[in-house]
Amino acid sequence: MSLQEESETPEIESGETELEALLDDLIVDTDDHENAPAFVIRPDTVQETLGRLKNEAGYDHLSLVTAEEYPDRYESIYHLKKFDDPTDEVSIVVPTDSENPVSESAEPVFRTADWHEREAYDLVGIEYDDHPDLRRILLPETWQGHPMGLDYDQDRPQMVPLRENANPLQDDHRSDADSDTMFVNIGPHHPATHGVLHLETTLDGEQVVDVEPDIGYLHRNEEQMAQNGTYRHQIMPYPDRWDYISAGLLNEWAYARAAEDLADIEVPEYAQIIRTMGAELCRIAAHMLAVGTFALDIYGDFTAIFMYAIRDREKAQNILEDLTGQRLMFNYFRLGGVVWDLPEPREEFFEKVRTFVNEIPDALEEYHDLITSNEILQMRTVGTGILPEEVAKNYGATGPVARGSGIDYDIRRDDPYGYYDELDWEVPVEDGCDNFSRLLVRMREVEESAKIIEQCVDLLEDWPEDERNIQANVPRTLRPDDDKEIYRTVEGAKGELGVYIRADGTEKPARFKIRSPCFSNLQTLPEMSNGEYIPDMIAALGSLDIVLGEVDR
Amino acid sequence: MILQTESPLPDVLADLLGLSGFGVAGEFVAALIAAFIVGNVMLAMTGVAGPWAKRKITAKFTDRIAADRIGPAGIGTIPADALRLLSKELIVPEGADRPAWDIAPLIVAGSAMLGFAVIPMGSGIQLADPEVGLAYVFAVASIASLGMVMAGYASNNKYSMLGALRAVAQNLAYEIPLVVTGVSVVLFTGSLRMSEIVAAQQETLISVGGIAIPSWFAIVNPFAFVLFLTANIAEVGRNPFDIPEAPTEIVAGFQTEYSSVYFVLLYLGEFLHIFLGGAITAVLFLGGAAGPGPESIGFLWFVVKIWAFFLLTQWLRSAAPRLRIDQLIEVGWKGMLELSFLNLVLTAVIVGVVA
Repeated sequence: MSLQEESETPEIESGETELEALLDDLIVDTDDHENAPAFVIRPDTVQETLGRLKNEAGYDHLSLVTAEEYPDRYESIYHLKKFDDPTDEVSIVVPTDSENPVSESAEPVFRTADWHEREAYDLVGIEYDDHPDLRRILLPETWQGHPMGLDYDQDRPQMVPLRENANPLQDDHRSDADSDTMFVNIGPHHPATHGVLHLETTLDGEQVVDVEPDIGYLHRNEEQMAQNGTYRHQIMPYPDRWDYISAGLLNEWAYARAAEDLADIEVPEYAQIIRTMGAELCRIAAHMLAVGTFALDIYGDFTAIFMYAIRDREKAQNILEDLTGQRLMFNYFRLGGVVWDLPEPREEFFEKVRTFVNEIPDALEEYHDLITSNEILQMRTVGTGILPEEVAKNYGATGPVARGSGIDYDIRRDDPYGYYDELDWEVPVEDGCDNFSRLLVRMREVEESAKIIEQCVDLLEDWPEDERNIQANVPRTLRPDDDKEIYRTVEGAKGELGVYIRADGTEKPARFKIRSPCFSNLQTLPEMSNGEYIPDMIAALGSLDIVLGEVDR
Repeated sequence: MILQTESPLPDVLADLLGLSGFGVAGEFVAALIAAFIVGNVMLAMTGVAGPWAKRKITAKFTDRIAADRIGPAGIGTIPADALRLLSKELIVPEGADRPAWDIAPLIVAGSAMLGFAVIPMGSGIQLADPEVGLAYVFAVASIASLGMVMAGYASNNKYSMLGALRAVAQNLAYEIPLVVTGVSVVLFTGSLRMSEIVAAQQETLISVGGIAIPSWFAIVNPFAFVLFLTANIAEVGRNPFDIPEAPTEIVAGFQTEYSSVYFVLLYLGEFLHIFLGGAITAVLFLGGAAGPGPESIGFLWFVVKIWAFFLLTQWLRSAAPRLRIDQLIEVGWKGMLELSFLNLVLTAVIVGVVA
């Protein structure tokens, strides 16, 4: 895995001097993040710096905003990438003093910074100047203190009298008789929100005037949980609980990739192939559910397509169960490899996987007959939920959502890891920018995943018996060097899933930050649905394929 | 209403039970008994359809097994479900507009029951056969929309309100094409009387190899049949036109707030409407109770036909996506309305030329 990164190092170096020239008057200091140059700037030059990087250097993807508190200061880190080349990264570090942590907001430059900075404010306590709507996002409005801050008192009671708690019904327009609009709470319990999501919706008749997602119902502070676990074994079970729609191995890989790069662990090739196969099985299972539930949103009943998708997902689940011993919370990856080898007898397992993969084209043909070629479904999805390419980029949308908007961006290909660059497959891109395109992208991705799995099985079958090495030799306790920082991403089922880790020389991470693709993708919902009809908003929400466990973390 | 004297069920019963000697009172009692029989037959069918047949049919379409715990093929789930539904708590939402909220389920269920009064079900089962039978059945069937609006408005729930508004918009969009297409059948028969519409379809259209093909209007004018079927599915509010309910959008719409007995009544009403829709289709286009065999088993054929319609609605439910309300209105006003008038004019020309 680290092979590729080493070859890219010179490129980054050369880019670094150019960037230094570009930002010459703004840089206060430089930092050494593992795979990106990091520049320290003053908190009042955030917009200027990011603006230059976006418009002049082409860093058009604000992947993540990490906020953390040090004993003497607060820091916001803007992790920038290019949609054309995600290996070309740069981190902008914005320290603010601990007495008065105010930093300029990046929202005018990158729309996606809106939610990311709200989260930073909510959990860490940094305030952002010029932010359009700096409120808590994950925790209730009335929450006392910032849980990721150093002086946070866990035992402080959080009981808030009802009268002080925001009443979601208060904004009801009943008293305002002259108003033409109607306020409706869609969720947190609603059949189409796919979990506990609350959409504060303003309607004008059947049309959506404004929709504001209210998230955080499933917030568990997974980041803090990871910070309390040791690198070696205690963190790996948590990623399964981010995107729990059977995308567990994809999530585990996000942590594995970051931690392995941080601790310089070389994963044996054989283990990489098993990982690749497992991850793609997860992707198929996740996309099957996405297609099924999207159809459910459009059809309105548990129809044939939903049951067929679940039936085919079940086959992937059974194989994953054979492989990992679990159906949902796999906990199969280990730093340096996987926990155990393929199930015995191996031939039987390969046969099962082959049968599954060979059935995929027929199954998809059936789906196409049932849904994509259905005229009513086309009426409902073509041209609705429009997300133009530029808007998608501005919101940091990734995964099938970005690829449905014509953005040719896939971490598996553009920033290769695992065994993907050795295999023959394609990245499906559709440029319709609508609900239909996103559906098509997912269905085509299933096909590509099947191709990858087939090639993996071929490789695994012929692998020399004495080289079946499933785990590298990893020390029992990992203590990466102090102040080593890394941000690594993988292609999860919903998009770019990343993990930022800062080590402090102990066996636990000092800061563990998750870049959730659903979090960024969900932010585009108002763009897609304002001015549209309610059913189209529901369809757009379904086409985003969010998992609240990952949105809220 | 002028009751035709031929042999509606009440008269037969009156003769049978010797009630005809008691004058008006005897007729009244006979009519009550007849209505009781017809009503219970329909309710029994609904009882089979709702908790059991619907599940089994959908399960077959979607690769599942469905109810199979109680009795053979799970048929025992019907009494179990009835008990379960009726024993639930009746929750009245705060601020509900009573008694409108209480009356609405009765209207939805009752309007469908009223429709069956004029349907000739074969084997001599027909409560009344007024001259304006077809107009009557269309009229009472659309009263259900009123019930939906009442339910939605009185529930004090925004989703319900949206559902009620959708029901009205949908009703306006499909009702005219439905009635106009029905009128094209009347042009053939020259009568609104249900029994005469059925009788007009009994003649043999053509004989192919000894098999007589009857002149059912579905065969005479398949275009009108398809049009009527589409409008009828919209009338009963099934997929792809289940827009007033739309569980994934407005959470069952007008019935969101109903529970227990009221919910059962609403559901009953919906199934009765499906059967009434099937009955109207059967009478207008499928020769009523006609079928092979002696005339006395006509009722069986009639049941087969309305269950076929029920099967069609369930098939669509498993296969067809839902339209958006504006798309439905477009289909109704810009498509079906024009087509139905075209069909009417063509029928008039054909009838004028042939006759």
